[in-house]
Parts: sequence; structure tokens; C-alpha cells
Amino acid sequence: MKRQPLIIKNQRWLDFLFHRPNIHLASFQTISNYPRIWIISILILAVTSLSPLVMATFINNRLIHKSVDAELVLQTDRVTSNAKRSMRFFLEERLNALRFIVNELPYYTLIDNQHLAKILSNLKLGFGGFTDLSIIDADGSQIAYAGPFNLEGKNYKTQSWFTQGIEQDSFISEVFTGYRDIPHIIISVRSKTAYSRHFLLRATLDTQRLMDMLSSYKTNVHTDIFLLNHSGILQTPSTIFGKVFTTAPINIPAFSDTTQVITPETNKENASVIGYSYIDTEAVTTPFILMVHKKKSDVMGTWLNLGKTFNWIIGICCLVMMVIITLVSTFMVNQLYLADQAKAETMLKMEQSQQLACIGQLSAGIAHEINNPLALINETAGYLKDLYQYTGEHRSDKEITELLDDILEAVSRCGTITSQLLGFVRQFDVQISSVNVEKLINGILSFHKKETEYKGIHVTTMIAPNVPAIETDRGKLQQILLNLINNAFQAIEANGCLDIMVSHLPPKKISIEIKDTGCGIPEENLKRIHEPFFSTKKEKMGTGLGLSITYGLVKKLQGTIRVESSAGIGTIFTVTLPVKMQKEEKA
Amino acid sequence: MKIILVDDETKFINMLARRLSLRGLDADVAYSGEQALEKAAQTRYDIAVLDMKMPGMSGFALKQKLLDQQPDIKFIFVTGHGTLDQNGVPDHFDDIFLAKPLNIDTLIDTIRQRLNPDQ
Repeated sequence: MKRQPLIIKNQRWLDFLFHRPNIHLASFQTISNYPRIWIISILILAVTSLSPLVMATFINNRLIHKSVDAELVLQTDRVTSNAKRSMRFFLEERLNALRFIVNELPYYTLIDNQHLAKILSNLKLGFGGFTDLSIIDADGSQIAYAGPFNLEGKNYKTQSWFTQGIEQDSFISEVFTGYRDIPHIIISVRSKTAYSRHFLLRATLDTQRLMDMLSSYKTNVHTDIFLLNHSGILQTPSTIFGKVFTTAPINIPAFSDTTQVITPETNKENASVIGYSYIDTEAVTTPFILMVHKKKSDVMGTWLNLGKTFNWIIGICCLVMMVIITLVSTFMVNQLYLADQAKAETMLKMEQSQQLACIGQLSAGIAHEINNPLALINETAGYLKDLYQYTGEHRSDKEITELLDDILEAVSRCGTITSQLLGFVRQFDVQISSVNVEKLINGILSFHKKETEYKGIHVTTMIAPNVPAIETDRGKLQQILLNLINNAFQAIEANGCLDIMVSHLPPKKISIEIKDTGCGIPEENLKRIHEPFFSTKKEKMGTGLGLSITYGLVKKLQGTIRVESSAGIGTIFTVTLPVKMQKEEKA
Repeated sequence: MKIILVDDETKFINMLARRLSLRGLDADVAYSGEQALEKAAQTRYDIAVLDMKMPGMSGFALKQKLLDQQPDIKFIFVTGHGTLDQNGVPDHFDDIFLAKPLNIDTLIDTIRQRLNPDQ
């Protein structure tokens, strides 16, 4: 067996939706499980209509993230490159200034402290960023000094920057505190005295100037720009990692000539983009790595917020669509259900009418067969009665005559029943021919001629001159009128009136009104007179089939019948028939 | 006045003949269409009372043949299809239909009316 989700299997809770009160009716319906169809239709509609939306949203989100990432990388790259160029220019410019000085001026003028102070003030004016200047000979002794600190006569032989600086033409140190306890950078150029001895022109650079320059590249608060040395120690303060000289908890990126941007795989909240560049000047490599750190979530907050809003809108749309889908599905399935219900009802009715027709045929057969023996009984009993009456024997024996009368009456009752049953069966086939209503009525009335005279009933027939001959089933119309006129005669007391009016209801109908001044029908019985076997003539051998058959016949002739009655005054039956009866489709 | 009754129900038709003769009406019986035609060849009848449905020749077929022999003869049909819709209501037919079981008085009335329509 196929496994189904629980919700499709158990729809007891949905019974209120497509309630089926009639189990017999249900057997005629095409589809047995409406709640299931309902759920399936909702699911299919939901999947087909919502999945593109959801997919589009998903793809859109991915695209936003991707483009945001790409944008971020580009931005970082640009900032890093620019900052690197500035940084490089800053250092090169100062290094070249020093180089210019040592090449231009002779050694003896340089070791003059006053001259050196003048040079320093000129450098400060021309370039800025210089703190002090000094001349150090090859042994590490400071020969001359210009600057705010009292460092004259110090020996730097043991200092690592000195050993490195004396070995190369140009040198740039890391940031360090040194003797003066203030973070600074040393740049130096090496030259020779007239006696071919090496000496260094050393300058100390103000780190503040460097920091200002770097922070000018901070486009917003989410960007952090700082310098690292090759062992990961901060050279300038960082908003993320803290003060100068603390070790930054990041991996030292691999060496590269050009600017690089990396996006480390970390958790979403701290996701960031890092741009870095090893700073080299033309003359010398520096120990600095320029780092640009951008936090993704902060920088792209607006974008991500927009995405969130978008997702919310999509969510609400989905919800609204679900509601609409549910409503539409409910409506459609309900329509289907109603149509099916109507079909089932028709089929049930057809089955019932077929059953009725069968019963009718059967009873007609029986009635026909019974009529012959009935006729024999009738004649035998009648003959017996005749014998008594005509031969004169036992004429005084009244009891026997009465008994024979009882038999004759019973036979006559049976005859009525069988003839009505046969009439009942005739409802089922219709033969259309042209009928003159006036002739028909006169024929029926002639049958009652004797009764009319005997009871003293005034019969009036008023037939409008414009009444056309109608096309209908003669036999049935005859029976309808016969039944109604018979009823009228039975209801009318002596000296009553019977009015029959036929009129044309243009364009396509005629009405036959049969009005009697009989006993009338009590209101509580009016609703029931068309029910089969409803009769008030218990003692007078009524079968209760007459009016029921009449109603059926009128319907069969595509007409309508109306009754108005008030007890004691009389009854009016109005039959309305089409002038031209439509042939009905054979089912 | 001479009457011929034709029906395959022998007992019924005999009984009916006897009852009619008790009332002073002279009635012959025939149990089939052929027999009726034989009798009609010898005797002249004023009116024929025919069963509609008989084995062999039907009432209507018999009517045509009898009319060939005796053009003046009148007809009354009796039918086991005891229907109200053909119950003696003449319209475009000249014939009268009566339902079984018959009422003897109705039959006699009808016969008289048929033979003397003016009365």
C-alpha cells in the first residue's frame, strides 16, 4: 500500500466541509473522497505557485550576497592600494630627502650641530613628520644631533637598527620606543666621509603623522587600517586589535608584491574582508605590512537589511497567496462537489423513476390479467341475481340478493382499482397528436349526462373562441379531465353548478378551469391531495390514486395544475398546458 | 334487434348472453373472429360487441371484416385494458369502448344509444 501523509489519510476533521448526509446518494458520486482532493489541490497549487517565488527569493538573496561580497572586495582592494601608495610615497619622499642632504652637503657641515638644526627645521618646513636628525659614525657614536631630546654622545653600536642600517645604503626600521620611550620610526641613509669611512644620517619620524595619513583612508567606522610588522606586532593602533606593540591575533598573510584581498572563512557575524600589502620602497624593503580590515556585517548592514525587508514582504505575499489558494481550492472543490451531488441526485431520481416504471408495468400486467376473471365473477354474480329477480323464485329471499349486490359492488371496486393502475402505467409513454379541447370536454360531459339530469346539476362550458387545437397526448389529457370532472361530480350536491372554462394564454399556453360548488377541500388536506393513496372517501370506495395520477399526468404533459378551495363553497382546479408540447428526450 | 357477442372467454360471454336474453335482448355468441364471421354470413346483426384482444383475429380486424359483410352493423368494444382514457368517450372514433368488468346496465344503455342515437 502507498503510504500517505497523515494529513491526507485522516480527514475526519474535514467532514464539515463536504458533508454527505445521504449514504445512498453517496454511492452515485464519482469521487468519494472530497477532503482528500481538497488537500491535494491546495498542495499542488501551493507548490506550483509558491516554489518559483521562493526559488527566486533564494537566488536573489544569493546574488545580493555575492555582489555585496564582490563590491566589498573591490572597495577593500582600492583602499588598500591607495593607502599603500601613500605610505610608500611618504617613506620614499623622506628617504630621498635624507639622501639629497648627504650627497649635497660635505661631512663637516653635517656634524655641525647648528647647521644640522637648520637642516631639521628646513626638513620640517618642506616635508614635515621629522622629529630629529643625527649623524652617527661607523662605530655607533652619535657625532651630531638636532632635535628635542638630549641624546648627544649616545652610542648605538648595540642597537639592532644600527647594525642593520650600517650594512645597507638605506634603512627603515620598525616602530620602537628606544631610549626616548616614545614610539618612533628610524630611517637612515649611509654615506662616506672624505676618508672613506661610513657614517649614517639618521632621522626619526613622527608616527602620529603616519597614523593620521592612514586614518584618512578610513571611509567609515567599519573599516580598520593599521600596520603590522612581519612578526604580527601592531605598528599603529587598531580599532579592532588594540594599541601599538600588541600582537594581533591574525595570521601573517603570505608575501606578495601586489595588493591582495582575502576573505577568511569565519562564522557569519564576524565575517570580514582583509586587504593587505607588503610595503617596499624603491631603495629598501620595509618591515611593514599594511592591513585593511572591513567587517562585512557592519559595512553591508543596509544591504542585508534590505534583503531582510524583501524576505518579509515575500513571506507576507506567500501567506496571502496561501489564503487565496485555500479559498480558491475550497470554492472549486465545492463546485465540483455540488455538481457531483446534483448528478448523483439526478441518477438517484432516475433509478427511482425506473423502479417506479417497473412497478407500474408489473401492476399493469397484473391488473390486465385480473380483469378477465373479474369480468367472469361480475357476470356470474349478475346472472345469479338476474335468476332471482327474473324467474321469480326466492324473490322474497332478500338476504341472497343483498349478498349478490355486495359481490357486484366489490367487483366494481376492483374494476376501478385495476383501471386506475392501468392508467397509472400510461404515464410512461407519450403520443403527441392534435387535440380539440372543446370536443374532448363535450365527450366527457356526455358520459355524465344521466347523472347531470338526475342530480339537477347546472353544467356550463365556456370556451373562448380563440382557443387553438393543442398538440398533446390525447389519452392523458382525456384522463386528466375525466378525473377532475369525475371528482367535481362526486363533490357537487343536488342543484349545484359545474363551470368549465377554457381560455388561451398567449402566446403558448391554454388554461382549463374546472370549478364546482361542491363540498370543497379543507385546508389541511390541500397539501396532501396529490399524495398517492391519500383519500377521504374511505367508505365510498376511493383508491386515493385519482388526483395523484392526475398530477403526474399534467407534469408529463409539461403543464401545471393549481387548486384553490374553501370548505363548503367549492373547488377550482386550473390546468395550464402548452399549446405545442415538446417531444421529450428519451433517457 | 339482434346482437352478436364475440370473446374468447367462453364462460364470460355465455353468462353475458344469458343475462341479456333475460332482459329481452336476443344475443348470439361467438368464441373467435372466424366463428363470428360464419354466424354473420347466415344472420343479420344490428350490433356487435367485440373483445379487443383475442387470439387470432383482433377486435379491430374483425370489425373491418364484419363491415364488409354487413355495412350497417354498429360496434361496441370491450377491453380488458380497463382504461379510463378510452372509456366510452367518443371523439374522432365512431366506436365506443367499455372496460371489463362490465356493468350490464351501462352495456344495455350503450347498445340502445348506439342503435338509436337520437333518443
